[in-house]
Amino acid sequence: MATSLQDPAPENSGYTEFVQLLVSHEPRLRAFLRTLLPDWSDVDEVLQETSLIAWQKFGRFERGTSFMAWIASIARFEALEYLRQRGRARRVFSPEVMALLADEAIARTEPFEHERHALERCLEKLGNTQRELLLLSYRPGARFREVAMQAGRTVQGYYKTIQRVRVRLLDCIRQELKEEAV
Amino acid sequence: MNETRVTMLIQQWLQGELSDAEFGELERHLKTDPAARTAFLRAANLDSALRDRAARDDHMRAWLAHQPARPSSTRKLFWPWGLAAAAAIAMGVFLIGGVRPRSLRPALEATAQGTAVLTQTIDAEWAARGPRRTVGATLPPGTFTLQKGLAQIEFFSGAALVVEAPAEFEIVSSWKVLWHHGKARVKVPPAARGFEINTPGMKVIDLGTEFGLDVDRASADARLQVFSGEIEAHPTTGRQLNLTQGQGIEQRGTSISPLGTVRPQDFPGLDHMRDLGRERAAAQFARWQAASLAQRRDPRLIAYYPMQPDSTSQRLVRNLAEPGDALRDGGAVGAAWGTGRWPQKGALEFKGAGDRVRLQLDGEYQALTLACWVRVDGLDRRYNALLLTDGYDPGEPHWQIYENGRLMFSVTYEDPENPAQRRNQIYYSPVIFDRTNTGRWHHVAVTYDNRSGAAIQYVDGVEVSREVHRFHAPDRPVFFGPCELGNWGIPLTGHQFPIRNLNGRIDEFAIYSAVLGAEEVRAMYEAGRAE
Repeated sequence: MATSLQDPAPENSGYTEFVQLLVSHEPRLRAFLRTLLPDWSDVDEVLQETSLIAWQKFGRFERGTSFMAWIASIARFEALEYLRQRGRARRVFSPEVMALLADEAIARTEPFEHERHALERCLEKLGNTQRELLLLSYRPGARFREVAMQAGRTVQGYYKTIQRVRVRLLDCIRQELKEEAV
Repeated sequence: MNETRVTMLIQQWLQGELSDAEFGELERHLKTDPAARTAFLRAANLDSALRDRAARDDHMRAWLAHQPARPSSTRKLFWPWGLAAAAAIAMGVFLIGGVRPRSLRPALEATAQGTAVLTQTIDAEWAARGPRRTVGATLPPGTFTLQKGLAQIEFFSGAALVVEAPAEFEIVSSWKVLWHHGKARVKVPPAARGFEINTPGMKVIDLGTEFGLDVDRASADARLQVFSGEIEAHPTTGRQLNLTQGQGIEQRGTSISPLGTVRPQDFPGLDHMRDLGRERAAAQFARWQAASLAQRRDPRLIAYYPMQPDSTSQRLVRNLAEPGDALRDGGAVGAAWGTGRWPQKGALEFKGAGDRVRLQLDGEYQALTLACWVRVDGLDRRYNALLLTDGYDPGEPHWQIYENGRLMFSVTYEDPENPAQRRNQIYYSPVIFDRTNTGRWHHVAVTYDNRSGAAIQYVDGVEVSREVHRFHAPDRPVFFGPCELGNWGIPLTGHQFPIRNLNGRIDEFAIYSAVLGAEEVRAMYEAGRAE
């Protein structure tokens, strides 16, 4: 442990820049990984690994090019590596489908922020109870079944409710974006 | 594409609920149909956005779970009772960690025995034996004796009780309580219908209501008054009675008689608790403010950050040590302003891997005291930063929390025999942070004297460790230079533990150029403690 604390003088001053870039792209990067990985805990693991590797390679990042595209390519590789190491086959898409999804996810970075803003408006339109039920199940680390039980729902009923609310939100977002475009 | 079918498959994939055959079907759609891919990316993006959003709401929820009747100051939320309980459970039982909750799970399983959360108390004194009864604690089954004050208990079932001392009761489960004696106001939302309270002579089953219960200690006689809704009373002797709003009964021995009037005002309720809680918070905040104004004039201060958000710049963390030195103002990066020890108090919240407050503290010192109010929400990293100097060069201190919950103060110096090498003087406290005290405000402090070499650590005003390091050599100065709160500035490429962000909040930080005495540390804690 002592060695881990022994740090010679800093030689790389890009750290602040890196952190700023990482922080501002983290939500988008997480959404990107979510398309490739079947589980949120997988996403968190790979995201952490990706941040470390990106920091190590940051010297090779070309200023002025897209940080998102750069870090997404690292994330994509790390996701594949992660799945390979764990021998996880179930509910993991084939490399071909993953490549399609990854390419399209990076290509459609523009509407991302718009969608988030639209989401805020659509959440407002939901009833309070529905909104809270929905967000409760999304708290980091929340275990769906337990939340369902504690909210006094059957697990299946709760799943159905959440799915229904999400589909409603998707429709609403699509509508909002359509109106924005007009 | 069959839009409804694809939508359904995507939703189930997100939930991890697809069969192998359905998964194959989804994959075929994604492979061949651009519209399916767009729908998929949208749904995954929404899933991600909702998760970010829910994490952002955490601080609000934490506050609401403690004071369910109080609307948030920043955004009004409707908060159904069952959900408040669920959120409290979520907080207490399986959700303390923010960024990497999985690592905390094994330790958290133990508290699954809980039945209720102690959400608020006013001047409460409990009989000494038994489990922890601090606000926010999860209560296991067992007997509780409230000797003084008021306590608000929210059961996982959704039922809530305001208990007035003196009272004694036994929690059997989140659905059942044995009421030995004392006064309580019970509120049962529809979700907790069937919640049961047993007095010495009667079983009361709640059908969704609010009622008052008062059992005399000596005679065990009971009075029951319904303020709204309906209850069933099953006397040990005699027939079942159904009581509705405005009705009450009195039980003396085996005789039961109706009460002429009900008097809700005799039973302190949730509103009363909330009002008292607000008054209490305002008084404590005022006491802290007065102490803080006096503290700033201490000439031994290197810097003092009371952490009230500044209206002119959200990113500025002012150094208010007098006389003012703006060069020692801090700059918040990432960390957002949230609520501190009281609703009136600001705090900086450290959640993201990049969150931090940058400081530049020049000078050379012979001693130091670091003191702060911190709410640790989880120990996600190997090292969790409080104050770390960027370079950790000779003479520079590090103050952090090790992953096992020990406070860890260290300072590094050159090895006198081999100046190219460093020697770390690391001082550990005993284990301070565990699942019982995460999510609460604590005062932590450390003093270091470069003459004696003693490092003394304090938690909540009490000394927890005192040590002179074996590598100590007298009179080597201490420096800070560029440093930061809540994170570590410039770890090197390939460093083994570069990410040290704190998961929690800091709402006051003081840095002194001298060793403060135990009495002074104690006084700082007393002036700033929140009930």
